[in-house]
Amino acid sequence: MFLEQLSGNLVQGVVLGSVYGMATMGLSLIFGVLKVVNVGHGAFVMVGAFVALFFFNTLGLNPIFAIPAAFAVGIALGLTFYYAAIRKLLHAPELATLLATFSAGVLLEETIKMIFGSEFRGYNWDVGNIDLVFTALPMSKILAALGSVLIAVLLYVWFKRTRAGSAMRSVVEDSQGARVCGINVDGVYAMSFALGIGLTVASGVLLTMFIPVGINPYMGGGYTLKAFVIAVLGGLSSPYGAFFGGLVFGLIENTSYTVFALIPGVEPFALTRFLSFLILLIILLIRPTGIIKAK
Amino acid sequence: MSLLRLENVTKQFGGLVAVDKVSLEIAKGEFVGIVGPNGSGKTTLFNVINGVFYPEEGRVFFDETDITRMPPYKRAPLGIARTFQIPRPFASATVRENVAVGAMFGSRGKSVNVEQSLEIADRVIERIGLTGHGRKNAGMLTPVEKKFMEIARALAMQPRLLLMDEAMAGMHPGEIDNMVKFLVEVAKQEKIAIVAMVEHIMRAVVNMAEKVIVLDHGEKIVDAPTRQALSDPRVVDVYLGKGAEEENADSSSA
Amino acid sequence: MKNRLRPYYPLLPVFAAYLVLFLVGRNVTGMWQLAATLVFYCALGQAFNIFLGMTGYVDFGYVAFLGIGTYGMATAITGLAGYPQLGLGIVAIGFILAIVMATLLSMAVGAVALRLRGAYFAIATIGVNEGFRYLIEGANLWNGSSGMIFTAQLNEILGRDLSSRIMTFWADVMVLFIAAAAAVVTLLYMKSKIGYALTALREDEDAAKVMGINVTKYKIIAFITSASFAGTVGAASWALKTPYVFPPEVFEIHYTIEAIIIVMLGGAGTMLGPVVGALIYGISKYYLSIFLPGFQLFIFALVIIFIIVMFPEGVVGVIKGKTRNTAIAPYIM
Repeated sequence: MFLEQLSGNLVQGVVLGSVYGMATMGLSLIFGVLKVVNVGHGAFVMVGAFVALFFFNTLGLNPIFAIPAAFAVGIALGLTFYYAAIRKLLHAPELATLLATFSAGVLLEETIKMIFGSEFRGYNWDVGNIDLVFTALPMSKILAALGSVLIAVLLYVWFKRTRAGSAMRSVVEDSQGARVCGINVDGVYAMSFALGIGLTVASGVLLTMFIPVGINPYMGGGYTLKAFVIAVLGGLSSPYGAFFGGLVFGLIENTSYTVFALIPGVEPFALTRFLSFLILLIILLIRPTGIIKAK
Repeated sequence: MSLLRLENVTKQFGGLVAVDKVSLEIAKGEFVGIVGPNGSGKTTLFNVINGVFYPEEGRVFFDETDITRMPPYKRAPLGIARTFQIPRPFASATVRENVAVGAMFGSRGKSVNVEQSLEIADRVIERIGLTGHGRKNAGMLTPVEKKFMEIARALAMQPRLLLMDEAMAGMHPGEIDNMVKFLVEVAKQEKIAIVAMVEHIMRAVVNMAEKVIVLDHGEKIVDAPTRQALSDPRVVDVYLGKGAEEENADSSSA
Repeated sequence: MKNRLRPYYPLLPVFAAYLVLFLVGRNVTGMWQLAATLVFYCALGQAFNIFLGMTGYVDFGYVAFLGIGTYGMATAITGLAGYPQLGLGIVAIGFILAIVMATLLSMAVGAVALRLRGAYFAIATIGVNEGFRYLIEGANLWNGSSGMIFTAQLNEILGRDLSSRIMTFWADVMVLFIAAAAAVVTLLYMKSKIGYALTALREDEDAAKVMGINVTKYKIIAFITSASFAGTVGAASWALKTPYVFPPEVFEIHYTIEAIIIVMLGGAGTMLGPVVGALIYGISKYYLSIFLPGFQLFIFALVIIFIIVMFPEGVVGVIKGKTRNTAIAPYIM
């Protein structure tokens, strides 16, 4: 019985983990290129969730269509925020970008609250279940995972095969050198920031396909923390490290919930969240450059 | 007995060997010039000596004590001071406070309180010729003034070894001469060993230095009394024929 | 002859502001609550400034220290309710417990996080308040998610009259004293080696190390001091003023945001900054909540981005720059 549940959890963990991984790639991309930690990460995820909600509930459209729309919203938000604030803060002390991204998150939360209100919402997209041997998974979750993997692959191809992608890689390697070689470093920064935010907002749609309830303006906080754990697992500055970090984290989260549920007198949900915080501290302590080596 | 001794020190970054099996000795009160082109491993060598990096191999001795893995803040009170290639003042503090920090935390063997440090700072500032700038924010100084301030900050520590990273870069020949003269005088009076690191073989430094060490691609290729070092064919090779005769025009281009 | 008191002049405007707050609160009808809120913000800002302002490190989990201080006081009151003869001694024990617990937590967090630089530090702290909240809820410490209500115990220990006086008046006065004490400590730090070390490491940590500064030690000093003040603020302003504690309320990141806004608005690392920041923030929040309810956070988020981009040195930082070499310069720090 327990083993069956555990293996079910493993499958769920992998599916959830790929969505988590995708949801963290934007954070790692922005840190990798600009050395800016987007502390408002969760709020951008939340915006994506509301895009999905708007598509499904208001427009009556399949949430899959919301993915490119959310990506576009993210690009627009990213460019606006980059040129309004981040660009001027790149050489300021770290404190400045930390507080600016944090405030941007608050700004988004409050804006969404004004438009949609602060109650919990959700949508119900029923596209059937897939029956695996030990567990049944809703098709929507499988689609979310597949979508995440697809986006990760697309990003990989884009990095390797396009001029913009290779310019971005060379800025990560050596921004001074890239400048000397005639690469428009400022343009690369703007593009990376916009792309990072675009990926993050798009991931909000995928997350709602996985968990289509509990959508509210303040849902992002928990995701910010998770994203940091995942990003740090993957070394903080590599989007692919982040993707694999997400897989690992999804597994840990699902398994630990099952294990904690066996201990009497504790709340497994809360302890699982405490555990993720603990993992973050432990990784930062022993190996801040990341556990998973990914190129 | 040497003041500083490096034994087979190697420091790598990833696959890149920045400092390759370097051994050297600096005697008490000695003025040594370390010469090497950009990327030859000079700054890394300094960082190993003052503890910003620990080497992968080899050992560092100061006053016959092994300091290979001693954190930098413990080395300063032993008497190791340095300046930076690009000056790093504590920009929001005044010049006086900057220099006082050196005296307060870096003073050798004794505890110096805030008031004493400020007094020391005033003395050093006057001595180095920054009088009148003491209450300015360090961030507001000109680049050359910042270099002077860094030297003042280092001297306030009353060091026994002063590591100077391109301290003369960006100065006029006249300023360099003054600076070198000043340093030699201070060094003689207070028995400070000075290791000046320069990218080019500069007359001013070379004239004063008792010994010249030449680095190339992380390796020490020459370590000899100045006159002998300058006539070494390997030195000429490193500089592609740019010998000691025509150094002066280059000195400001670093 | 140098004036020996001159170094203490910067305390004058701070104390003057506290006195005015107290007098206005006492004498103008209906103003005590607003004055008390402003005093709370002053104390919060003054305490947070010792870390954020002096080191330049951002601790997103700062509210956890207020939360743990609240639990410290709650533990003393509920645990010692059987000994009413101790009377106000229990409140004193509560404060000591709040300081000890906040110090222990800050040592635990600091041992890990303060080894990390800049962004990594901020990341490590962003989950501290949430993490601690989930530990309390998950492991059912201190009643877990049901929280603790101890009004009855407070009444029992101190008598109904005194305990209600504490809730409505004395708790706020205690916060005022905490704010004043934090200001004094800030000044003493600034004038001592600690202040010089912190300035150096805030400006350039590597250069500071090379100058002989044990940066970790000084960061820990600032962190623990700041945290223990936060603990007493929690104990007085949350546990004594409103004798109950629920994990989601006392670990709410919102308070960290407010502390950051106050410090940045007034001028990080300045002595008077937290007071100015607290007054501007508190008063505008109060009137915004009347005239534009629900928009405060939106406006403050915009304001903070604006400050960071345009005036990163804050109000007092700007004034300090403008009044250099004038007669009022000794009072502005």
